[in-house]
Amino acid sequence: MLKVENASVFFAGRDKQVVHALDRVSLEIPERGFVVALGTSGCGKSTLLNAMAGFLPLSEGSITLDGKPVSGPGAERGVVFQKDSLLPWKSVLDNVALGLKFAGLPRNESRDRAQELLRLVGLQDFAKAAPYELSGGMRQRVGLARALAPDPKILLMDEPFGALDSMTREQMQELLVSVWVRTGKQVFFITHSIEEALFLGTEVIVMSPRPGRIVARFETDFVRRFAAEGDARAIKTEPAFAQLREEIRAIVHQSEDLVTS
Amino acid sequence: MNDQVQPLPLLDSLRAGISAPPAASAPPRLVKMRSFGIGEGSTVRISVAAGIAILALWWLIAQTGWVPHLFLPTPSEVINVARSIWEDGYANATLTEHVGASLLRILTAGVIAVSLGIPVGLLMGLNRWVKGVLDTPIEFYWPLPPLAYLPLMIIWLGIGEASKITLLTLAMFAPVVLSAQAGVRSLPLERVTAALSLGATRWQLLVEIVLPSALPEILTGIRIALGVGWSTLVAAELIAANRGIGYMIMSASHFLATDAVFVGIALIATCAFAFSYGMRLLERALVPWKGKS
Repeated sequence: MLKVENASVFFAGRDKQVVHALDRVSLEIPERGFVVALGTSGCGKSTLLNAMAGFLPLSEGSITLDGKPVSGPGAERGVVFQKDSLLPWKSVLDNVALGLKFAGLPRNESRDRAQELLRLVGLQDFAKAAPYELSGGMRQRVGLARALAPDPKILLMDEPFGALDSMTREQMQELLVSVWVRTGKQVFFITHSIEEALFLGTEVIVMSPRPGRIVARFETDFVRRFAAEGDARAIKTEPAFAQLREEIRAIVHQSEDLVTS
Repeated sequence: MNDQVQPLPLLDSLRAGISAPPAASAPPRLVKMRSFGIGEGSTVRISVAAGIAILALWWLIAQTGWVPHLFLPTPSEVINVARSIWEDGYANATLTEHVGASLLRILTAGVIAVSLGIPVGLLMGLNRWVKGVLDTPIEFYWPLPPLAYLPLMIIWLGIGEASKITLLTLAMFAPVVLSAQAGVRSLPLERVTAALSLGATRWQLLVEIVLPSALPEILTGIRIALGVGWSTLVAAELIAANRGIGYMIMSASHFLATDAVFVGIALIATCAFAFSYGMRLLERALVPWKGKS
């Protein structure tokens, strides 16, 4: 379980101003939980993820994974970035196997494992391709497989589908759910799409900017039902889905108004 | 009133248009976006024609005697001299010895400059202290023309190979260092954070991420270094040597043997072209992904 307690972050801004990026945020990501952080840009959701990944120290508060404090980047927390950061000089397979290579696994073993992960994300036929030969959606699938390779306890996903077209995006959401169900990882997922948040999360936290903080939390079961029933369209067109979506939209707009007025 | 929805005739004709087989007789007219600049057409044929035209002009001017032969020999004279130099050597050494001496100098200096320059440049890109300390001497000597400190090299190291190789190494070192540094600077931060979150150690980060990321820039730097190397080499051989292509040109000019000077220049051009072509092949083999990530 990943636990964030009273996390605050202050940056040095321009003209010696202090930017309050994150204000006493607390949350828990339970085993097999899928927590989605939703909010407009500047609400601190990426700051929160960077702190969880260990890229950014906290000004106050603490982050622990299974009781152990997070003090820097590590292989037990896999990260999927919005802009894929695949290495162009390595094949798709070697990109996926990168974390295993870092861990010192023998080449054959790491390649077998990478091939297995490529099958999991449906790219088994593209092992030898170069990353720049793939489409945006495929590259994000490679990014997902790569993050899963060292068998992390948690996946941290920073708007991974933000740059994709809406049709590819829906396919990727369904793929991610199937990966999540099969691997049983904890996931922390960032998005600015309300629908994506509702569809994917077992818990949705709504964040608001200046200072970045959590303004609402919702527990949902759409993703578990999708995993069981497999009909995404039926779920997304349900009245309960639409109702919750409008409720969250109202909260987001309200918190925006508070800031601007 | 007729409430039944009538199929629109327009839709029908659209469907017909979609399913209509393309006319077999006339091939479709292929179009593309208008381009600006030189476009995509190959320039090789134009370049070859221009080369032939220049040779023809040279032959014409030399043949008609507009310019005295002493200043401009005909192409056939140059070829004859080249053959006799190939067979009998020139200025107390065979052609192979002259070219070999020059190649040995530039390759030795190149290997030293590259194998020192890459790690130093990477370190300067990664460490504030290394950069701070080494910036001073490199920024001081790099803009100097190498011939300005050749006399110093000769005073310190004598007239032999050591002074010329040191001069060349210094001249080729700076572009390699600066390009390796630039390569580190252009490294996308996400690549580093991604590798760290996959459990990379500092050393793995350097070898697996930083060095390959900087490789395109490093290869460009080596290309520049080779260009600087050739000009420095020939200049150094003109001043102080008893072997080498530059020395050959110098001694030919002492006897006003313009045709032999032409042969020397052609040799340098050939070598330099071969080096830059080799670098292009190396780039294609090592960084086929350049500009595609």
